Amino acid sequence: MAATPSLSGPSDLDQSSQSDQSASSRSNNRSLRVAEKERKKNEAEDPFVLALKYFSDVEAGTPVQGNDDVERNMVLVEKVAYSKGLTPEAVSIMLEFSMSLCMGTTLCARVLKCLIPATVVPQEAVVRAVVWLGVRKIPVGTQILFIKWVLTVFDMIDAKDQLRAVYGFIFNFVTDENLCPYICHLLYLLTRKESVRVFRVRKLLELQSRLGRQPFLLSLLSLYKVFCPELVTLSIPSRVKSGFRNHNSPWKSALIAVQKRNGAQVASSISLASAIKTKPRKRKHCHLVLPVLSSVVSKRAQTEPSSSRKVVPLVQVHSFAQLLENMHRIELPAQMGSLLGSSLALQYLDCVQDESALLRLNFWLGYALHEEFLFCGDGGASQDSEDALQFLNTLLSTQHFLQEGFSCSEAFLFKFLNVWDGSLLRPQILGLLSNIPVVPSSQIGQLLFEPLMQLYFTSSLFFKCGLMECLNNMLLKWLTWHSVYALEDDLDISLNSHTSINMTLSGFKDSVMELVDFVGRLASLGLRLEGCHSLLLSFILDFYETVCDTFLKYGLPLVVMPPPGVFYPALLATDPVSVDRLAYIMYRYKVNLTSAKSQKQLTEQAFHISRQTFREFNHYAAVMVNCLWNSKMFQPDMGIQLGEELLLKSNVPQYGTSFDLIHHPAFMSYAVDFHQRCWPGRKDMDLNSLKCSKLWSWYQEYLFSQGYDGLKQFVQSNICRQLTAGDSLPT
Amino acid sequence: MSLLKPFSKLPGLNSANILLVESEEQFQQSLADALVEETTFTVNVRLAKSLPLPVENEESRPRIDLVVFIINLTSELSLQSAEASLKCLDPGYFLGKVCFMVTNARSAAAPVERLDVARKLAASLHCPLLFAEDQTPDGVTNATERLLTILKVAAGLVPMATALYLSNLTRSTVPPDIEQPSFN
Repeated sequence: MAATPSLSGPSDLDQSSQSDQSASSRSNNRSLRVAEKERKKNEAEDPFVLALKYFSDVEAGTPVQGNDDVERNMVLVEKVAYSKGLTPEAVSIMLEFSMSLCMGTTLCARVLKCLIPATVVPQEAVVRAVVWLGVRKIPVGTQILFIKWVLTVFDMIDAKDQLRAVYGFIFNFVTDENLCPYICHLLYLLTRKESVRVFRVRKLLELQSRLGRQPFLLSLLSLYKVFCPELVTLSIPSRVKSGFRNHNSPWKSALIAVQKRNGAQVASSISLASAIKTKPRKRKHCHLVLPVLSSVVSKRAQTEPSSSRKVVPLVQVHSFAQLLENMHRIELPAQMGSLLGSSLALQYLDCVQDESALLRLNFWLGYALHEEFLFCGDGGASQDSEDALQFLNTLLSTQHFLQEGFSCSEAFLFKFLNVWDGSLLRPQILGLLSNIPVVPSSQIGQLLFEPLMQLYFTSSLFFKCGLMECLNNMLLKWLTWHSVYALEDDLDISLNSHTSINMTLSGFKDSVMELVDFVGRLASLGLRLEGCHSLLLSFILDFYETVCDTFLKYGLPLVVMPPPGVFYPALLATDPVSVDRLAYIMYRYKVNLTSAKSQKQLTEQAFHISRQTFREFNHYAAVMVNCLWNSKMFQPDMGIQLGEELLLKSNVPQYGTSFDLIHHPAFMSYAVDFHQRCWPGRKDMDLNSLKCSKLWSWYQEYLFSQGYDGLKQFVQSNICRQLTAGDSLPT
Repeated sequence: MSLLKPFSKLPGLNSANILLVESEEQFQQSLADALVEETTFTVNVRLAKSLPLPVENEESRPRIDLVVFIINLTSELSLQSAEASLKCLDPGYFLGKVCFMVTNARSAAAPVERLDVARKLAASLHCPLLFAEDQTPDGVTNATERLLTILKVAAGLVPMATALYLSNLTRSTVPPDIEQPSFN
C-alpha cells in the first residue's frame, strides 16, 4: 500500500467548486500574490488532483480487490471526466496507468471508458500507450477498446508527427486478426505517401488472400493505390461497402455532452473523427455535410506557441501572411473534406508542391461522391435535398477556384452518367462535367460520348441546350489549358499542374477533334429532331463561335468546319440573329484560315491544316454569298440541289432570289421596313426594286445599322464592291 | 400465345399509344398519370403486368407504338418478368419501338450484376435503356418527358425521323468497367 490518502475525503464536486468560487471572491480583495498562494493551496487540496497523483504514483502490483482507495479515486476521476472532461495531463496519467497494467487488467477497460478529453490529447501519451500495447499482455477486448478510443479522439490529438514516426510499429499489429479492422482504420488516418512501401503492400495483399476481400483492407489498399499507383496493381471493386465503421459508441454521447458544456470550442471533433466512413443507411448524407475545419487546437496551444511543436494545423492559420510563414509545416486535417469550405486551405492546396494533399482530398471526395450518389441507402429518395445541392455547389466553386477539376470527380462522372436520368441535379452535374480535364481520344467515345448520346437523344430540348452549353464550356477549358500549359518548342503539354498528366500535342488535337466532331453530330441530328429550334441553334452557334477561333485565340493549329446539318439550318433560319451569328462565325473562320496560311508560309512550321478544310470553307462561303448576295440559290454546284421541274412546279417566281438579303425569311421584315422608309406613301410594294445598286448599298447600310455586325464583317471581308460576285479567298 | 404486332393495325390521327409493362405495378401508375397530361397530341396509355396481353380485348386495342418495360433493379423478379415478356413481342417491335426503363439503379440494394444483365439485355436487343428516379416528382416528370420524346418519334409524329433512326442513336451499349477510385 503506497497510497497517499486524500485528506479531504470523497468530497462532492459541486461543493468543491463552490468553495473555489467563494475562495476566488474573497481573494478579490487581497493582493495577487496571496490569491496565487490560495489557489495553489486549493489545488493541492483538490481531491481530483490528489486522485490523479494517486494514479500516477501507485506502485505496480497493487491489488485491486478490496482496495477502497482505488475505488474512491476512480469514482472521483470518472465523475470529473463525465462532467468536465479530463485535462491533457489527466488524460496522460490515466492512459499511462491503464495501459501499463499497473494494477492488473481489471481496471484497464474501466479507465479507458472514462477517458473523455476536455480539450486535447497529448500525442506523447498516445505513443506511450501504443508502445505498452506491444509490451504488455493486454486482453484482446481491451486492446480493441484502446484503438477505438484513439480513432474516436484522433482529431483531438495535438500533433501527429510522432505517431507517424511509429507508423511501422503500428503497422505490425495488422497481422493480429482481431485488431486488424481497427488498425487499418488508424493507419488510413496516418498514412502519408512516404509510408507506402512495397513490403507493406505485400503484407496487406497477403492478409487479403487469407481473410478474403475485407472492406477495411480494401479501403487501406485503395488509399495506398492513391498514393502509389505503381505499387498497388490490384483492381479495387467499384462498390466497396463502407470501409470503416463508427467506433465511437462508448464515448460519443459523453464527448458531445462534455464538449457542449465546455462551449463549442472543439464541438465538431466528434463528427470529424467518426464521419469518415459511416454507413449511409444509418446517417444519410453524412459526407454531404462538409466537416468543419476545426479541432486539434487547444487554448493552451494557442496561447503559448511552443517551440517543440513542429507542425501547424491548418485551422490555426487565419491569414494569408500566416499561411506563407508556415507553408512548410502545415498539418492537414484528418478530414480532407473540410478543405473544400476554406479558401485559405484552397490557397494552400493550390500552391503546395506536395501531391499528397490533393491525393487525400481526391480520395475523400471520390468516396463521398460514390457513397452518396451511386450507392444510396434509400434508393435516392432524398437525393434532391439541400445537402446534395450544397455539396456539389461547394465542389464546383472549389474547382472554379483551383481552375481545374478533381480526377475523382471525373471518375465519378463517368460512372454517374451511365445511370443518370438526365434531370437529377442537372446544373451541378453538367457544371462538373464541363470541368473535366482532357480525356484521351482512345477513351473519350466510350467514357463520355456513349452515355451522353443516349441521354441527349431521349431528353427534352432543354437538356439538349444544357448539354451543348456544357460541351462548349468543356472545350473552352481544354483550349485554355492548352494555351496556358503548352510549351512552345517541344509541342508537349502538361495539362494538369498537379496530376502531371502529359499529353502530346497530337494527342490533345485528337481529343479536341473528337469532341468537336461529336458535338457536330449531336447538333445536326438534334436540330433535325427538334425541327431546327432556334434556342438549340443558338447554343450550337455558341459552340462554333469557340471552334472557329481555335487558332488565333488559343494557338491551336486546328480548324474544323461545322457540318452541313448545322450550316444550312443556320443559314436558312427564320430569325435574323442566327444568320448574323453564322456570318460572324464564317468571318472568324476566314480570319483564322488566312492567318494560319500566312504563318505557314512564313515559318514553315510542322502544323498542317488540311486542304479539305479550305475546300469546305470556300464552299460554304460561296454558298453564303450566292444565297444572300447574288440571288443564285439552288444553283447546280451548291449544297442544296432541287430538281428543275420541282422548282418550276412550286410556282415560286424567280426562286433564285428567294433567300437573298431582301427575300430571306429572316430579313424580309427589314426589307419591307426599308421599302416603306424609301417611299412612305407608296401603296404597291416591289421589293425587287431594292436590287438596284444604289438602293442595294443603302439597304445594306440600313441592315448593318440595325446591329448585324457579323453580317457586316462577313460582307466587308468577302465581297468586293466592284465585282458582282466575289469571294477573294485563300485556296 | 399471341404475338403483339406493331403494324397489324392502322394508326390514329395525331395520337400515340404507349404500353407500360411492369410486374410490380408501382411506377406504372404515376408515369401514366403524367403521360396523359401531354396536350400537343393524344396519348393513350395501356398498362400491363406482363405480356402476353389478354386475347379478349384484342379487337378494341389500338396499335401500340411503344412498349416500355419498367425494371426495378432491386428486385430480381422484375428483371425476370421483363425478360419473359419480351418473347411475346413481334420482332418488328425491336426496330425502335421497345425501350427499357430502369429504376433504383443507384441504390445500394441493387447488385451491380443485375444492372449489367439489364444493360446487356437492352444492348443485345438494340433498345434504349433509360434510367429514372421514380421517387421524386421531378424524376417522374423527367422520365415522362423522355418517354414522350421517344414516343413521338415511334408514333411517326416527328417529320424526318423514324423509330429505327432514333433507336440507332439511343440504343444501349455495355459500358466499360470503370474502376473506382481510378486516378491513373
